[in-house]
Amino acid sequence: MAVERILKDEASEEKGERARMASFVGAMAIADLVKTTLGPKGMDKILQSTGRGREVTVTNDGATILKSLHIDNAAAKVLVDISKVQDDEVGDGTTSVVVLAGELLREAEKLVAAKIHPMTIIAGYRMAAECARNALLQKVVDNKENEEKFKLDLMKIAMTTLSSKILSQDKEHFAKLAVDAVLRLKGSTNLESIQIIKKPGSSLKDSFLDEGFILDKKIGIGQPKRIENAKILVANTAMDTDKVKIYGARVRVDSMSRVADIEAAEKQKMREKVDKIIAHGINCFVNRQLIYNFPEELFANAGILAIEHADFDGIERLALVTGGEIASTFDNPESVKLGHCKLIEEIMIGEDKLIHFSGVAMGQACTIVLRGASHHVLDEAERSLHDALCVLSQTVNDSRVLLGGGWPEMVMARDVDELARVTPGKKSHAIEAFSRALVAIPTIIADNAGLDSAELVAQLRAEHQKEGCAAGIDVITGSVGDMAELGISEAFKVKQAILLSATEAAEMILRVDEIITCAPRRREDRM
Amino acid sequence: MAAPAISQPRSSKTESYVDNKRKEDIRHANIVAARAVADAVRTSLGPKGMDKMISTASGEVIITNDGATILNKMEVLQPAAKMLVELSKSQDAAAGDGTTTVVVIGGALLKQCLTLLSSGIHPTVISDSLHKVSIKAVDVLTAMAVPVELSDRESLIKSASTSLNSKVVSQYSTLLAPLAVDAVLSVVDPAKPDLVDLRDIKIVKKLGGTVDDTEMVKGLVFDKKASHAAGGPTRVENAKIAVIQFQISPPKTDIEQSIVVSDYTQMDRILKEERNYILGMIKKIKATGCNVLLIQKSILRDAVTDLSLHYLAKAKILVVKDVERDEIEFITKTLNCLPIANIEHFREDKLGHADLVEEVSLGDSKIVKITGIKNMGRTTTVLVRGSNQLVIDEAERSLHDALCVIRCLVNKRFLIAGGGAPEIELSRQLGAWAKVLHGMEGYCVRSFAEALEVIPYTLAENAGLNPIAIVTELRNRHAQGEINAGINVRKGQITNILEENVVQPLLVSTSAITLATECVRMILKIDDIVTVR
Repeated sequence: MAVERILKDEASEEKGERARMASFVGAMAIADLVKTTLGPKGMDKILQSTGRGREVTVTNDGATILKSLHIDNAAAKVLVDISKVQDDEVGDGTTSVVVLAGELLREAEKLVAAKIHPMTIIAGYRMAAECARNALLQKVVDNKENEEKFKLDLMKIAMTTLSSKILSQDKEHFAKLAVDAVLRLKGSTNLESIQIIKKPGSSLKDSFLDEGFILDKKIGIGQPKRIENAKILVANTAMDTDKVKIYGARVRVDSMSRVADIEAAEKQKMREKVDKIIAHGINCFVNRQLIYNFPEELFANAGILAIEHADFDGIERLALVTGGEIASTFDNPESVKLGHCKLIEEIMIGEDKLIHFSGVAMGQACTIVLRGASHHVLDEAERSLHDALCVLSQTVNDSRVLLGGGWPEMVMARDVDELARVTPGKKSHAIEAFSRALVAIPTIIADNAGLDSAELVAQLRAEHQKEGCAAGIDVITGSVGDMAELGISEAFKVKQAILLSATEAAEMILRVDEIITCAPRRREDRM
Repeated sequence: MAAPAISQPRSSKTESYVDNKRKEDIRHANIVAARAVADAVRTSLGPKGMDKMISTASGEVIITNDGATILNKMEVLQPAAKMLVELSKSQDAAAGDGTTTVVVIGGALLKQCLTLLSSGIHPTVISDSLHKVSIKAVDVLTAMAVPVELSDRESLIKSASTSLNSKVVSQYSTLLAPLAVDAVLSVVDPAKPDLVDLRDIKIVKKLGGTVDDTEMVKGLVFDKKASHAAGGPTRVENAKIAVIQFQISPPKTDIEQSIVVSDYTQMDRILKEERNYILGMIKKIKATGCNVLLIQKSILRDAVTDLSLHYLAKAKILVVKDVERDEIEFITKTLNCLPIANIEHFREDKLGHADLVEEVSLGDSKIVKITGIKNMGRTTTVLVRGSNQLVIDEAERSLHDALCVIRCLVNKRFLIAGGGAPEIELSRQLGAWAKVLHGMEGYCVRSFAEALEVIPYTLAENAGLNPIAIVTELRNRHAQGEINAGINVRKGQITNILEENVVQPLLVSTSAITLATECVRMILKIDDIVTVR
C-alpha cells in the first residue's frame, strides 16, 4: 500500500545516491568557480550586481565572490560558510579552503563510486588530517625571540599574501605599509585603529601610511586651520535648539515680542550649551551631528575648531585614537575625558581637503591612504590590504611560520602518503585520496599560471623525498624553486585553519544521505 | 549617437562546471565591449576632432568634445565597458585633460591584447609586460620633458591653448587661454606653491553675449539680482559688506508656537511690534556702517520679508538674498570677512570692504558684481558668457580642462610636446627596448609599442590627412633623432611641434599612460562575470 504524502506539496526530498550526487556536484561547482583565482597568477572575477545601479565589483578575493553569489544548493552553502569563517578568523586563505574542500569531495566521490562507505572515508580523512597537521607542526619555524627575523618573516608573509592580489606589482611597498601598521598595534588584533581611506586619482604606488588619524571632513568657516597641542572633545549632541520632544507641544503667546523673547531664549540656551562646551578647556570640538551656523560662529569666536557631521565610524575611531570619550552632556567638565593630539591641520590629498590629527594619544593608531586609478581598483586594493593586515595581526600573536608556494601541501602529502602505506584496511584508500587532494593545490596554482602542472608537481614530489627540502613552485620563473631563498612564507595559523575547516566541511557533506527541501514560503513573485 | 549595443552576457551560476572555452569567451567579450567604447570617442580626439551630440533620457541635449563627459552620459552597461568609463573619470580627476586620449590608448592596448591572447600568451604574462611598459614609458616621457617656470606666462598660455584648440570654443582660445592662466596663478598660495585648489576658482555662467565677452572678475559675481523690490540701492561705493546667516523677518521659534489674538486692538499692537522688531534689527545693522548685506538662504523661514526689504531700502542697504550655504565659505574667503549668525554679534570688524558693489544688467538679466575688494583672499571668479546654453556649458567644460592643465603644470612643472610627438617617440623607444628583452615579454612590449601609434594615427585621420603616410613619415623623422617632430594639423604636415607652440603638461601624458595600462591589466585579469545579488 502506498504511503500517503508525508511532506507538504512543494517540498521535495532526495535520497541516498541522488542526494550525495547533488551535494557533491554543488560543492565542486563552487570550488571550480573560485579555483581560477588561486595563486599569484590567479584571475579576477567581475561581480555584476542585479540590484539597482548594476554596480560592478572586480575582485580576486574568494570570500567576496562567494559571499555575493546566489546559491540554491545546500552543500554549496556549506562551502560558502567555511569561506566566511575563514575570512573572520584569519582573513586570508578564503579561496584555498574552498578549493581544498572541493578536492576532498572530488576524491570522495571516486571512493564512493568504488563502494567504500562514507563513514570509512570520513575516518580515513580524519586520520589523514591529524597526520597532516602534525607534519606541519614539525616543520614550523618560530622567530618570536628574534625581533629582526620576526619582522622579516612578517614582511615575507605580507608579500606572499599580496602577491596573489591586485597589489602584486607594488607588493613591497604595501607589505611594508601593512607590517608597519600591524607592528604599531603591538599585538592587539583590533584592526579598528587602522583606518583605510580611499581617494581616487594618482596611482597605487602613491598610497602611504600616516602616523595619525585622518578625518574626511571640513573645518568650519572662520575657524583656525591649524592647532597645536589640541584638546579634543568628541561629542554626539544636537547643536540646534533643545526641543521638547513631545508631539504637539507648542507655546501660546499673545504678542510678537513674546515670540522674539522665546527665540532669544532658545538662542540663549544654545549659547549656554556652547559655553559649557567651551568651559571644558578645549580647542577642538568634533560632533557627530550637524553644527548649525549660530553655534559655529560662537565656536569660531572662541577660536575653537569645530567639525560637524562626522559619521559614527569616524567619531568612534577618533575617540578611540585620541583617548577621549564620546560625550553627550556637558554639565561636568571634570568627568569628561578629553582627547589629545599634538597637531591638527588641514591637508590636501588629490583634490580633497581632509583634516589630519597627528601625534595622537594612542600610538597604535594609524591611517593608510590608498590612491588608485578608479573605485574598482581602490575597493579591491582595500580588500587585499585588509587580508594582509588580518594575517599579519594573527601572526603577531601566533608567530609560527611556514614556507609557501605549495610547500606545505607537499610536506603534508608526503606524510599522509606514508601513513596510508602503514594503515591496514579500507581506510588507507581514503588517506591516500586525502594526499591526492592536497597535491591538487600546487597543481591548480601551476595551472593558473599557465605552467605544465603535471611536470612541476612530479618534480616537486621527487624533491620532497629529501629531508629538509624547501622546494615549492616558483610561479614567476615557472619552475621548482627554493621557497626559503625566494622569501615566500605563510602563517601557520592560516594553513592550519584551511586544513581543519576544509576537512570538517568535506566530512559534513559526506555524511549527508538525504536532502529535504522545505516548501518555500509564499511571497509575491518579484524579480 | 547610439551607445554600442552590448548585450548582457548571461551567466547563470552555480549549476555547472565552467570550462575553459567559456573563459576565453568572456575575456573576448570584455575586450570587444571595451573597445567599442573606445571607438565611440575616438573621432573626437585632436584639434580637428568632431563633437558628439548626446540627448539624455530627460530630453536634454549636450554637445561636447570632452571624452569624460561623453562617456559619462553614455550609460554603458557592460561591466568591462564601464571600466573604461571609469578610466576616463580617473584621468579627469588626476589631470583634468586628456580624457579622450586615455580611452583611445586603452582601446588600442586592448586590441593588441586580443591578438596576443589569440596567439596563446597567458594573460598574466601580458599583464606583467604592460606594467613594465608603463614604467618604462614614464621614464621616456620624463626624459623628453622640458622644465617650465610659473613665471613663464607664455609657455603656460601655450599649453592652455593646446588643450583649448581641440574644443568647440577653439576660436576663442586666444582669449580663454590667458584667462585660465591668470585665474590659476592668482589662486596659488605662495606658502604652498605646489597646491592649487580649483574650488577657489568660481565659474559663473550667464546666458547672453558671446564667448568673447567671457571675463575674469577680480572679486565676486552673484548670478542674482539685488533685491530692490522696495527701491533699494543698486550701486554702492566704498561698500562695507556683511555676510549674515540669520534672517531679517519676524521671529520664529524652533518649538511650535501660536499667537493668540483675542481682540482688535491686540492685532494692531502685534503688527506694530513686528515692525519695531525688524526696525530694531536694521538699526543695529546700520549702526555698524554696513551698506551691503548678503543673506544666506534659509529653509525654515523667509530670509527677508517685503517689510524688512522696505526698511533696508530706506536705510540705503543693498541686499543680495538666497546665498547658498555652500557658497558662504568661498564668499567669506574672498571678502576676507566672517559670517555673522546672530544679530547680537553684528560688529564692524566682521565686515568685508570693497570699492564697488553694483548691479549690472547683462542682456535680460542682472548680476551683482563686487570689485575692488580690500585684502581679497586668494580666489577668483570667471564669468562665462555665450549665445546659448549649449555653448556656455561646453565653454565651461573647456575652461575647466584648461584650468586643469595649468594646475598640472603647477603641480609638476614640466612641459612635453603635443601633436602625437611623445606617443611616436614612446613607440620608437619601446620598440627598441623590446628587442633587448627576453622571451614573451619582448614580444608583448613590441606589440604595445605599436599600439601607441594609435594617437598620431587618429590625429591624422581626424584631420582628414592620410594616416599611414603621416605616421610612417613621423616614424622616419623620429628615427633620425627629431624627437619633437609631430603632426601639425593646421598645415597638414610634420613639423617640429615645439616650435609650433603645441605643448601639454607632462602630467597629462604620464597619467594617461599609467592609468590606461592599469585599467587594461585589470580587464585582462578577469576571467568570469558572476551575477550576484
